[in-house]
Amino acid sequence: MEKLILIFISTVLINNFVLSYFLGICPFLGVSGKIESALGMGMAVTFVMSLATGISYLIYEYILLPWNLMILQYVVFILVIASLVQVVEMFIKKYSNSLYQSLGIYLPLITTNCAILGSALFMVTRKYGFLESVVFGFSGGVGFSLVLIIMAGIRQELEDADIPSVFKGAPLTLIVAGLLALIFMGFSGLISS
Amino acid sequence: MKEIEIVVLVLGLMGFLFSLLLAFLSKKLKVEEDSRVEKIIGILPGINCGACGFSGCAAFAQAVVKNSKIFSGCLPGGPQVNKEIGALIGVSEVANVQNKALICHCGACDKEKLTSTLYQGPLTCAAAHISGGALDCSWGCLGLGDCAMACPTGALVVKERKVYIDYAKCINCGKCLRECPRNLFELIPVEKNKPIYYVACNSKEKAPVVKKACSKGCIGCGICVKLPGSPFYLSENISYIAYQKIPSPEIMEDARNRCPTECIIKVDSPFRKSES
Repeated sequence: MEKLILIFISTVLINNFVLSYFLGICPFLGVSGKIESALGMGMAVTFVMSLATGISYLIYEYILLPWNLMILQYVVFILVIASLVQVVEMFIKKYSNSLYQSLGIYLPLITTNCAILGSALFMVTRKYGFLESVVFGFSGGVGFSLVLIIMAGIRQELEDADIPSVFKGAPLTLIVAGLLALIFMGFSGLISS
Repeated sequence: MKEIEIVVLVLGLMGFLFSLLLAFLSKKLKVEEDSRVEKIIGILPGINCGACGFSGCAAFAQAVVKNSKIFSGCLPGGPQVNKEIGALIGVSEVANVQNKALICHCGACDKEKLTSTLYQGPLTCAAAHISGGALDCSWGCLGLGDCAMACPTGALVVKERKVYIDYAKCINCGKCLRECPRNLFELIPVEKNKPIYYVACNSKEKAPVVKKACSKGCIGCGICVKLPGSPFYLSENISYIAYQKIPSPEIMEDARNRCPTECIIKVDSPFRKSES
């Protein structure tokens, strides 16, 4: 149990996927315009990430390892992620059309979200068990959502601010992202082993 | 078994299983879309020009199904497309949809309109219109080509500061109408296989001012208005054509020949190839 909590805290805050591994930057910059769409995106990624990591673990442990097919891990993980994204897309389209519209192109782009493939690959290299993998994927998604929502909040406030025109739009977003990454570095001493 | 066989088998099986799952779920979670949306998308030209005010043809189709009043919103499609959409969603006033043709209310080229100052600002009409320096006439075409830049089909060409419209390419999307800072463009109703006439001047100044700035401007003399049965009328020192009156070609030709500044223009076939 202690290990699971450690995994959770370290993945959400200390080794955050976006701000310390710089994975999943594309949706981080693309969908962080409004808090509602950031929340929806975060939930979709969290769902896909925890499921993908869990299923990837099962496939890796019970199919790839016994048959000695480790070379296939990238292809198989992508396959799992792509199918899951399709499922999530169908669910969202069915049950919340407005969320579907606001996520737009970024929803199918979760397929190529490197944070999700990253979580599956980290799970392999760190030799996590099944439960640990699921918690790792889930907390990765939670960390992603957290950063996305913080970013969306900041960007919504900045809409009303008087910004020099050279910094408007993408430049300021990148500066804010860099500052957020610096802030999250402050968490690095949170757990002492 | 060789390794490659195992690889193919494992990956193939996995892909097959996932695809089965997806096929099952797509049946189960199918969203019932209005079947008319698909049909309307099929009718629309599919060029996503945005002239209707929506982000593309698909967005327009969805909006039409919800609000049938905007059925004639597709300008490039023209009456044929509008009629089909109207019929599909059951709008009754379909018959009133008319063919349109684009005209430019300035027909003077570089030599004919005077420029007495040197303009060195940004080479866009929008900027030149603010300073007004690029042309003596404060109503006519600045000739810097904002309309040609905006035109999605390359139907507008600006040569010697005059706009030439290639009717074979023009899709009546109306982007130039919004782009021109001097509002020179207009979409006028046309009838099949008939020429169109229009007054190629936009200057609302009195005759002496117009004459000073341009040799081809409408001076508001009223010769065209006085002809019997004329559809022309004067307003703010400029002649307009009331397009709802359908004049005989003889009157229009007569008016064109009598215009002292030759600013009534005739276009023989303002149609796309598919229409004529």
